[in-house]
Amino acid sequence: MQVYELGYLILPSIPEDGLSGVVEKIKGIIGKGGGQELDSESPVRQDLAYTMGKTIGASRYVVNDAYIGWVKFEAEPDATAAIKEGVEKVDEVLRLLIIKAPRKTSFTFAQARQKVEAKNETVTEGAPEEAAAVIE
Amino acid sequence: MKKNYFKENKIEYIDYKDVGTLKKFLTPHARIQSKKRSGVPSVNQRELAVAIKRARYMGLLPYVSR
Repeated sequence: MQVYELGYLILPSIPEDGLSGVVEKIKGIIGKGGGQELDSESPVRQDLAYTMGKTIGASRYVVNDAYIGWVKFEAEPDATAAIKEGVEKVDEVLRLLIIKAPRKTSFTFAQARQKVEAKNETVTEGAPEEAAAVIE
Repeated sequence: MKKNYFKENKIEYIDYKDVGTLKKFLTPHARIQSKKRSGVPSVNQRELAVAIKRARYMGLLPYVSR
């Protein structure tokens, strides 16, 4: 058994309340492929660094932002090809990436956001003091 | 004296999702900094390069930037 992480991008045209359905679909495919879920983070909306496109049937979607989420799971190495193929067929998924990952989760988007917010707070707290010093 | 950013910050696994960290190792044109510039040991530099490439594929980092 090997631990894998599946990162995915979901099209921004999906409404917020429809996201859990897509995530369940992805998790279902992993379960069917013989994977055992270890950890996951629900998708969050994020701006993309560049424009991506996806063609579904006759319509082409060009997007500048997407929902990004990940699932960590344990599976036999042979099972990943089937999982990848299965998730690729989900229409709502814009892009996916399966990588080998350590068992321990050391990074989540929620943690990263908190860190950025904490940093911003210290900056704004520091600013008034400096302004006061100038007035004096 | 070369500094190892990852050892100093106790980062054992360089995650492609950790954009804040990865951005420190990009040049203004969004190219990967050379080992000489980043000052990171070879092992970490290789892991870093893979992580940046994964982040690019997932749209977290740009391939090119003016």
